[in-house]
Amino acid sequence: MTRIEVSRSGGFAGLTRTWSVEVSSTEAEERWLPLLEGADNSGVEDAERDRYVYHIAIGYREVTVAESAVEGPWKELVEWVKDASSSQRGEDSGQESGQAPG
Amino acid sequence: MIPPTPSHVRCSIVPPYLLARLAKLEAPEHQAAAAAARRALVELDPIHHARATAPRDPSRGAGTAVVLALRRTIADAGGSESLPGQIVRREGDPPMGDAAVDEAYAGLGATYELFSEVYGRSSIDNSGLPLDATVHYGQQYDNAFWDGTRMVFGDGDGEIFGRFTASLTVIGHELAHGFTQYSSNLRYQGQSGALNESISDVFGVLVEQRELGQSADAASWLVGEGLFTDEVEGRALRSLKAPGTAYDDDVLGKDPQPATMADYVDTTSDNGGVHINSGIPNHAFYIAAARLGGNAWERCGQIWYDAATGGRVPTDCDFSLFASVTVEAAIARFGDGSPEADAVRYAWREVGVL
Repeated sequence: MTRIEVSRSGGFAGLTRTWSVEVSSTEAEERWLPLLEGADNSGVEDAERDRYVYHIAIGYREVTVAESAVEGPWKELVEWVKDASSSQRGEDSGQESGQAPG
Repeated sequence: MIPPTPSHVRCSIVPPYLLARLAKLEAPEHQAAAAAARRALVELDPIHHARATAPRDPSRGAGTAVVLALRRTIADAGGSESLPGQIVRREGDPPMGDAAVDEAYAGLGATYELFSEVYGRSSIDNSGLPLDATVHYGQQYDNAFWDGTRMVFGDGDGEIFGRFTASLTVIGHELAHGFTQYSSNLRYQGQSGALNESISDVFGVLVEQRELGQSADAASWLVGEGLFTDEVEGRALRSLKAPGTAYDDDVLGKDPQPATMADYVDTTSDNGGVHINSGIPNHAFYIAAARLGGNAWERCGQIWYDAATGGRVPTDCDFSLFASVTVEAAIARFGDGSPEADAVRYAWREVGVL
C-alpha cells in the first residue's frame, strides 16, 4: 500500500489541513506518480496573495503546487483524496476528521 | 507684477472635464493616459478645481475629483471558480440586498477612503485604479484572496467559516495587498512575505478602526472577527494585540502566531509561514500604537504608510530592515526624539527585532 497525503496551507486564515488515503502500490505507480514526475516545480512567482499552497506526497515523492495550478488531473487528485479521507478511518486523516467543530 | 506660478499648473493645461473623460477610458492602449488623468484629477486642489470647472459645468463642485477617482465594480461568480464573474453592482448603484455584494462595495469604499483621506493616496496604485471585487466564489470556499487585479471572496463552508466579506478587516486586508503590490512589492516568501501579510493586517484593522471611530485603546485589534461560525471556539483569525490568542478550537487547533522573535516559526508551508510570523510585525505595530494612544491610523498608520511608500523597503526586506525604515520614517515626519520615533523604536525592541 502507498500513502497519498495532501496538505493545504496558507489562505487568508493560514490554517493547515491535511487529508490522506492509502491506495494500492499499483494504483499509485500507474495513476498518480506520473503526475508528480511531470510536475513543473520551478516555483513561478505571481501576484496572487492569500491563496492556498498544496503539498502533495505520494510515498516518498512530494511536490508543492499553487492553488491556481491545481487544475485538471491535479484537481481530480486533490478532490479525490479529500473525499476519500473523510470516508476512510478518521484517525488516519489528520486534522480532517469529518467531525463538526466545537 | 507677475503672479507666482500656481502649483497646479499642469491642471490648467488639460481642463478637468477632459481629465475626467480620459480617466474613464478602458481600452488597453489608453491605460497610461487614463492613469495619468486619474492622478491629475485627484491631485487637483478642490477649490482650484471648482473654480476651473465652474464656468463650464456649474453642477461640478469642490471635491468632485476625488469622487470621480473612486470606481467600484462588484461581480458575482455565482458559486463557480471562474473570474471575474457577472457584474452586479457598479459605482453609484444602490445596495442590491445581497450581503456579500453590499459588504464588498462598502468595504472597498472604506478602504479607499482611509488611503485617500488620511494618507492622500489615490486608490491603491496612487493613480486612481478602479477597485474590483468578486463575491460568491467557489463552492463552500473558505478563503478570500487578491489575484493581482481584484479581490475574491468565498462564502465559507457554513460549518467553520461564514462569508469572508463579513469582516471589514478582511476587505481592507485584501485591498492592502494591492497597495503593497503597487508600493514596496514585498516578495511573498519568508520574512518579506510575513511583512507583506502584516501590512495587510495593519491597514485592514485601521480601516475598521477609522470606520468605527475607535481609538487604539478601544479597538479589538482583531483580524477576521465574525468569520467563524458559532461552532468554533475563537473570536477571530488573528490578533495584533495578543498574537496566538485569536482562537483555540478542538478542530482548528490553536492560533499559531508568535508575538516576538523568540517564538519565530521556521516552516516551509504557507510560503514560509507568511500568515504565521506576521504576528511579530503586527504586534510591533500594536505596541507602538498603544503607546502613542489616540487614533492608530493617524500617527502610527502614517509612519507605516511612509515606510511602505518611501522607496526604502526592498522586495526581499527582512524584519530588522523594515523596523529600521519605520524608525527613520517616524524621525523624518515627527523628529528625532519625538514620542512617535521613540514609540516605534520601543515597539520593535519589545518584539525582539531591533
